[in-house]
Amino acid sequence: MPEIIVTLSEVFTRTLSGFLDATVITLQLTAIGIVLGCLLGLFFALLKLSKSKPLQFIANVYITIIRGTPLIVQITFLYFGITEFITLTNFWAGAIALGVHNGAYIAEIFRGAIQGIDKGQSEASSSLGMTKAQSMKRIVFPQALKRSIPPLGNQFIIALKDSSLVYVIGVAELFSLANREAAQSFQPFETYLVVGLYYLVLVMIFSYLLKLYENKLDVDKD
Amino acid sequence: MIIAKNIHKSFGDLEVLKGIDLHVAPKEVVVLVGVSGSGKSTLLRCFNFLEMINHGEIAIDGKTINPKKDNLNKIRAEVGMVFQHFNLFPHKTVLENIIEAPMQVKKKGKQEAIKHGRQLLEKVGLAEKADVYPSKLSGGQKQRVAIARSLAMEPKVMLFDEPTSALDPELVSEVLAVMKQLAQEGMTMVVVTHEMRFAREVADRIIMLDQGRIIESNDPKTFFENPEHERTKQFIQLVE
Repeated sequence: MPEIIVTLSEVFTRTLSGFLDATVITLQLTAIGIVLGCLLGLFFALLKLSKSKPLQFIANVYITIIRGTPLIVQITFLYFGITEFITLTNFWAGAIALGVHNGAYIAEIFRGAIQGIDKGQSEASSSLGMTKAQSMKRIVFPQALKRSIPPLGNQFIIALKDSSLVYVIGVAELFSLANREAAQSFQPFETYLVVGLYYLVLVMIFSYLLKLYENKLDVDKD
Repeated sequence: MIIAKNIHKSFGDLEVLKGIDLHVAPKEVVVLVGVSGSGKSTLLRCFNFLEMINHGEIAIDGKTINPKKDNLNKIRAEVGMVFQHFNLFPHKTVLENIIEAPMQVKKKGKQEAIKHGRQLLEKVGLAEKADVYPSKLSGGQKQRVAIARSLAMEPKVMLFDEPTSALDPELVSEVLAVMKQLAQEGMTMVVVTHEMRFAREVADRIIMLDQGRIIESNDPKTFFENPEHERTKQFIQLVE
């Protein structure tokens, strides 16, 4: 067997239990980042679509700042900024930073999807006496959400990979652990290759699940 | 039922309605005709405040509406509207489309809403389609569902905005038949349409709009046989 395969499998076995634990943390960070991101995204999408100029302005400021600065800066800024005022573990600081970051992109996804729904839908709701809120909640948003799923899925994959950046504040997720392993073992090549495979497999599982879900939606309706 | 006084409506610099006066009596069927751009659809949309008038006054069922103060949703609930492109809710089944507004707006119980919904589907001849999604229906069936959906709110007046214009020719008659039946049952209706046979047979009055003004308002017989205005004559020749 070529030597590289032997070393790789050796590194893989040695790191297995640590990396699996770290994978759980990575998935937790991603999950919180996505859920928080969706909530913030919906909130800011609605602000941006509101008729009030000040509300639109607030949404624009948020989206511009988040999209205009690197995530790694946002993570460190939030961690050191926020822990001046409240005690927060680095895990939660990282998770919140990921949520706030994803929120800006998801806001744009939701906004686009909501604007893409034919005006006739809200007109029909209005003509039946429904309020704007009822129309958004029951008629427009459910359709927009369905259309958001492909770009949201894409954003979820980005969120998963971006979670590696919280290594910078010392959260023990996959990439942090890989850094430590690489340094301690003097085997950076093998270690980063293995951790790369972890991310690849996670993303592939993610994509597969999304695909299943999209197909299910297509079968369900129209 | 609808009284419009001196309605003006502009989109930017373009004045679409230039002072419309119109009185629609209860149980009356009024057909609005005119070339495209004459303002007929806009006028119809002003009647349920999908478009806000710039000037003038609209009274529905004896009550003058102040768009800034009155609850427009409540008024719209009493004025049914059928659109050219149906605008059914694609993520809801036919029956769900129909019971949505009665349950959300009128706070009707689900069982009651379903019972009424099924009666309406029966009426428009689509009882067997209750549980399918709109995408599975033909254009004519979609429009009949849209009519049933409007009727579910038990409106006092029904507005039809070119209800058959988006349909294949062979599907037009099934929609017109439902509308004719409604007219016979005494529903107050304002209909924008190019279907001159329908206008002739069903309308109590035909109104011709031209460049944002009413230029002719007559019973169908006079309208077609003795039009007063030169533009009306041209229009009739054009469509017949």
